[in-house]
Amino acid sequence: MSDPVAQAPQQKERVRKGDLQKVVTPEHMFFEAPRETQFITGSEAAREAIRRANVDIAISYPITPQSETMQQAGYLYDEGYIKDYYRGEEEIGVMAAIAGASRSGVRSLTATSGPGLIRGLEAISSWPGARVPAVLLDMCRVINTPLAIQPDNIEISFLLNTGLIVLHGENQQDFFDYPLIAFVVSEQVDVTLPVVVSVDGFFVTHARGHVSIPSADIKLPPRDGWKCAVPAMDNENPPARISRDAPIQKSNFISYHMHASWQQEVFAAVQRSARYLRKYLKGLVEIVNPDAEEMIVASGSAVSQSREAIRQSAELGRKVGLIKIKSLRPFPAQEIREACKNVKRILAPEFNQAGWLHKELCSTLYGYSNAVIQPGPRVFGGMTMPTEMILEWLEECRK
Amino acid sequence: MLTHENLELTRTQPDGNGGVQFLYRVKNYGVAACSRPKEEIAQINWEVDVIKFKDANTLNFDVCHTTELAANTLTFHNDKSLNEFLKKAFVYFDELNVLEGMMTK
Repeated sequence: MSDPVAQAPQQKERVRKGDLQKVVTPEHMFFEAPRETQFITGSEAAREAIRRANVDIAISYPITPQSETMQQAGYLYDEGYIKDYYRGEEEIGVMAAIAGASRSGVRSLTATSGPGLIRGLEAISSWPGARVPAVLLDMCRVINTPLAIQPDNIEISFLLNTGLIVLHGENQQDFFDYPLIAFVVSEQVDVTLPVVVSVDGFFVTHARGHVSIPSADIKLPPRDGWKCAVPAMDNENPPARISRDAPIQKSNFISYHMHASWQQEVFAAVQRSARYLRKYLKGLVEIVNPDAEEMIVASGSAVSQSREAIRQSAELGRKVGLIKIKSLRPFPAQEIREACKNVKRILAPEFNQAGWLHKELCSTLYGYSNAVIQPGPRVFGGMTMPTEMILEWLEECRK
Repeated sequence: MLTHENLELTRTQPDGNGGVQFLYRVKNYGVAACSRPKEEIAQINWEVDVIKFKDANTLNFDVCHTTELAANTLTFHNDKSLNEFLKKAFVYFDELNVLEGMMTK
């Protein structure tokens, strides 16, 4: 009898496309590599970022409007650009699994939206203290009742004081650039923190825009699990230490002093990330018309609406400035104080009911500027913000 | 990719519903092409209107459904078909501008 093993057709060894990519420095990826412009959705832009990010593991649970992005990530897993990928049980499980993956020293990615983010928030808010480098893509949507799937970024207010680094992208281009930058900054030794890249769902994820991207045959260097503020866990050799430092994880053993100093260090690390973000984002803010007496300060999709509003103002002969905030944590307090020192009126358009950006501006500029800071315009629950609304608010605050 | 010929402005859709608007201009007439967010990528299309600008200095316009090009809002499902339409429209607008100039004189 012939040997069935010898007769079996030779299985073709699967070549992972990610293995064929050339590793380049972050500087080359962000500033030097030739780019071509494509007209693609935000979900597709995020997919192209993930393709070049050298991701080891992606875990998520579907929720609108995030689902499409992680479906695209699934294609990347199939093609061999992501080494491991699975759908978690739900968001608490996903976010806990991301913590575990990152602690074992691999580059970890997840994504969620609105209610999913809130569900996973218990685990997410433990990431910074555990010094977990990871990237969470957050496609914002309504979380409060009556529930909707339209853009509303109130969920960002829940992220601001957890010790996470929080970036807020304006458009599809940002949703390509920011995730790549997020991985690099997250894994800096003196940072070692998770980064959330938020965008306003649908307006960015489900609409097309121009995105300038480098070739798909390059990728970021892999994560070095040992190059970290805290050592990676050895998950291959039991018993793995579930906690890096038992007294830190066990609250009834913890001294308040230890908790305070631990949190102090987390927030100091957020501040230390600023120098990397300034370099890779080309500044924590973008300022248009810096000498204007009226300034619109915005983040996310509200920036795009504001750009058009200041263009229309210019047609009417009024110069209005714009500060685009790219990073919410660390908050660019120094840049905003400098930019607003001679400003008379400030408008803070927001896609949420809470007005978290207005509050940030008030506390940042208190004692540094005499400008009147208008609490709006504000839309939420999926309501639109036409440019006329911003122009009307500008007109109103001049009276 | 849409043609950049006669492209005057690319901006966020001013009505606030999301998406991007391309404004093409040939003197007094032009085309507003809008790509809006859709639940599925495959559903994303171009909503196109022929427009007439209100003055020479600004981009304020009225939708113009009285030309031979379009009596209503048109839908294009890909860039190629829209580019073909734009090419024809630019020639048509040139002729229309000349005719209207003659009528004024």
